[in-house]
Amino acid sequence: MSHIKINEAKCKSCYLCIDACPKKLIQKSDNIGSMAQYTVEFNDTKNQCLGCAICAMVCPDMAIEEVVNDK
Amino acid sequence: MQVFNVPKSIKKDCTFTFCAGCDHGVAIKLVAQVIDELNIQDRTLAIASSGCSVLLYNVLDVDCIESPHGRGCAVATGAKRAFSANGKDNIVFTYQGDGDFASIGLAESMHSALRGEKITAICINNTNYGMTGGQMGPTSVLNQVTTTSPMGRNEQYHGFPIKTAEQIALCDGTCFSARVALYDYKNIINAKSAIKKAFEYQIKGLGFSFVEILSSCPTNWKLSPQDSHTRIKEELSKIYPVKVFKEK
Repeated sequence: MSHIKINEAKCKSCYLCIDACPKKLIQKSDNIGSMAQYTVEFNDTKNQCLGCAICAMVCPDMAIEEVVNDK
Repeated sequence: MQVFNVPKSIKKDCTFTFCAGCDHGVAIKLVAQVIDELNIQDRTLAIASSGCSVLLYNVLDVDCIESPHGRGCAVATGAKRAFSANGKDNIVFTYQGDGDFASIGLAESMHSALRGEKITAICINNTNYGMTGGQMGPTSVLNQVTTTSPMGRNEQYHGFPIKTAEQIALCDGTCFSARVALYDYKNIINAKSAIKKAFEYQIKGLGFSFVEILSSCPTNWKLSPQDSHTRIKEELSKIYPVKVFKEK
């Protein structure tokens, strides 16, 4: 199952990953991060993640630390 | 299969201290990935400059020298020549902002290119002096409002912006000069291949290699990270075309 690992401590809530994910699997979480704004979370209940790593490449803070592609 | 992880050349557990949405983080990530792919981490020397780009040495796990403002290419020249004189094939690159490379250090940068110094220069062009509060820089575009041009950049009073990649490409000592952008995934991948090519040119010893990176500055542009990327795509990349200007 493809998935990503987000380090919320590094997330600065720019939300560039939300726009970049082709399957829209990243969304705002309920946690407040370092910029006093909601961080992001990965939500893939239907196993749709492509493992494309686009989110990790566009993240300016390297908060997306790992992308595993099992397809 | 793991398709992405934090590059080996990035310090463990470091946090990027740039503003939210700033493209510096992406640029440093690409440099780190290229260093990993070329397997040159143990023989690479980074020259940090003044400005936001100075934060490079907090995150990149290679040897680093801090240069005086604008003198990145001069320090890199000395370091590279010292390595060469001692028979070492170390890789030396500078990581500078546009104010550092193209204004305060224009003479050093231009003459390093004219001399064909076998170094790589990476210039982050965010069209202002970011760290000091968004003053007008040499690359600020016409009509751009900054803290020192509150009525917008005026060609009669302030002159025209410098197109660094084109100018460096005109120098005979330059072997590679390109401008890239980071506003979407496709451009990020192209930027990575340009940075890799620039390092490869240095490894081959063909001359001065240069990459200008169009980068966002959401804080000083007073735009969201998303709108900053839209500005680069729709406004800046028309004034500063994204292309390879010279490739020997």
